[in-house]
Amino acid sequence: MSRLRRLGALMLALLRELADENAYQRHLAAHGRTHSPQEWRHFFKHRLEAKYARAKCC
Amino acid sequence: MKLLAHLTWAAVAVLGALTLGGIALNHREPINSIWLVVAAACTYLVGFRFYAKFLAARVMVLNDKRATPAERLRDGLDYEPTNKWILFGHHFAAIAGPGPLVGPVLAAQFGYLPGTLWIIIGAVLGGAVQDFVILFASMRRDGKSLGQIAREEVGTVGGFTALVTVLLIMIILLAVIALVVVNALRGSPWGTFTIAATMPIALWMGIYLRYIRPGKVLECSVMGFALVVLSIFGGQWVAESSTWGPLFSFGAMGLAVAVIIYGYCASVLPVWLFLAPRDYLSTFIKLGVVLALGVGILFVRPELQLPAFTRFVDGTGPIFAGKIFPFCFITIACGAVSGFHSLISSGTTPKMIARESHAYPVGYGAMLMESFVAVMAMIAACVLQPGVYFAVNSPAGVVGSTPAAAVATISNWGFPVTVADMTNLAKAVGEQTLFYRTGGAPSLALGMAAIFARGGGGQAVLGFWYHFAIMFEALFILTIIAAGTRVGRFMLHDLMAQFSRPTAKKMTGIVGVNVVSLVVVAAWGYFLVQGVRDPLGGINSLWPLFGISNQLLASVALCVATTIVLKMHGPKFMWITCGPLVWLLSATFTAGWQKIFAPEPALGFLAHANQLEQAMRRSPSTTTAALIFNDRLDAVVTGIFLILVATILVDSLRTWMGILRGTRESRIFEAPFVPSRLQPEEL
Repeated sequence: MSRLRRLGALMLALLRELADENAYQRHLAAHGRTHSPQEWRHFFKHRLEAKYARAKCC
Repeated sequence: MKLLAHLTWAAVAVLGALTLGGIALNHREPINSIWLVVAAACTYLVGFRFYAKFLAARVMVLNDKRATPAERLRDGLDYEPTNKWILFGHHFAAIAGPGPLVGPVLAAQFGYLPGTLWIIIGAVLGGAVQDFVILFASMRRDGKSLGQIAREEVGTVGGFTALVTVLLIMIILLAVIALVVVNALRGSPWGTFTIAATMPIALWMGIYLRYIRPGKVLECSVMGFALVVLSIFGGQWVAESSTWGPLFSFGAMGLAVAVIIYGYCASVLPVWLFLAPRDYLSTFIKLGVVLALGVGILFVRPELQLPAFTRFVDGTGPIFAGKIFPFCFITIACGAVSGFHSLISSGTTPKMIARESHAYPVGYGAMLMESFVAVMAMIAACVLQPGVYFAVNSPAGVVGSTPAAAVATISNWGFPVTVADMTNLAKAVGEQTLFYRTGGAPSLALGMAAIFARGGGGQAVLGFWYHFAIMFEALFILTIIAAGTRVGRFMLHDLMAQFSRPTAKKMTGIVGVNVVSLVVVAAWGYFLVQGVRDPLGGINSLWPLFGISNQLLASVALCVATTIVLKMHGPKFMWITCGPLVWLLSATFTAGWQKIFAPEPALGFLAHANQLEQAMRRSPSTTTAALIFNDRLDAVVTGIFLILVATILVDSLRTWMGILRGTRESRIFEAPFVPSRLQPEEL
């Protein structure tokens, strides 16, 4: 049961990583800020600029 | 305990050898798909446990005491030590594109055996090695890109050539995958409506994420997914409506124009509004479908209907011309070895590796997973009746322009199929016709739908699953088109900056961005329209061009990898990257040469142009003149690819000879050693 729970937690963490939600939490922690719509927009802008300057795989 | 481990690995190796031998030798009778799954799984396990471990320990000498860029340059954004399994999933999601799904489906024209063997063996000895070495090289160089590494380790010529090669590949890639979508949606109001609906859904998601619930990406994606599923049901209603159906029924040229306009708009719209939400949705659906297909195949265990070898091993195939060597390898491309992976392996992933040893499962393991996806795509194609497979994938120019003519031709090849079979199948999946749907996506969707429907629901849900599969393929292909056009714009800027920095700077304003985007869209749009007009279906010329370019990029990556291995150890381990490099160069240069100069008009661009020229002398027409120009253009593009890669190869050979003779410094441009202080709880 605990293994299943760990697997579930890992899957959720992966989904959050793919969704950039983990990166946002890291951004808040690194800069000592709290969540706000403005903060998200600021983070998202920089995140997406970097993300979509790279080729996507075929 | 150690003995038990040895016995277990021996059993895995023996099982792998037996199943591989079984599918290779037992090709007179149909086999169950589980043979392919077991053969692939055992080979991957042995390759991962022994070969990759040898590479990690002896060749790359991974050292967990050495701090990775994620630790040294940690910024909480790009550089961040990440759990290895999360990074594995992240890297896999980044490398898994349409290539490993479409390539094997097309290569199934030779039968299931050649393609499957290459997918498995090519990945273990070539593709995964390339990904692993480049990931390692980038990780040791602060996450530098392939182009930067090439410039430093090989020379400036190599770096510049790599940039031009990637841009050209991008243009061909975007054109060919756009053509796959066009052919899948042609005359299909159900599919077209579903895909059209994903656009307002993405816009709504963008607004939701920015203004309604900022930061709630997962929540938003779940709602987006629910809306997309609803749109599939809506698509069925639209297709059955005599009012709405015709509004969403487009011909190939109309769809091509729509995709070109979409590509332009999606690349210039704010990323948060359209591209990013669409990308989230497409990534989650992609991972879900891959997982579901794997479970479906294991659960249903379908029998393969296509033979191990077809008569088309002689090079006379209707889907694309050319013999097994080199065209099976060129067509499979990403499922076994993908040059594009070297861009991902030298992109985000190396900046997130917490410990050096994690590069082993991430770099090598993720490619094995991608190869497994390609095996599943091969299975999905091969569960179709051979006659149906060829009727769906063959162009009218080869099999005849009426259904009756097409089934007669295909049945004469020894793959019986009737017009009634095709009509019933089209009706079952809610389509008007399934003839001449070249490009691989519809036949893959049919195979997937058959597997999913046998898992539960039967014929009643075949239409839903077919359109779900089409939606999944088109959604992520169109996302790649939008992102690729945007990246193409940046690459063109970089290229301009190499010649004139002020001009490049001028082009970063709003007008400049639009102009450069238009240039990129016009470039791939031209090839797309060329594919649509091609009486042989377009895939016959464009997919090999894409395969050649992709494999040449892999050759570039392997040249860089060989240089690094040579500098680290001398010639001792050069065979590891040189082996796949020699194979890829033989396959791609042979394919490139044949595509340009082969005397058969179905294969050689110039021979086809000459044939059309003779026809034009008899009855001049502007359409034929355009086809002649396109053939010659394709020949020139193929020639440019070969010259670019030959340039990098010569540059690399010069470097290798210099190092071996001792006339050239074998300095490695790695970041200096810094001891790791990362604590286990930080992983």
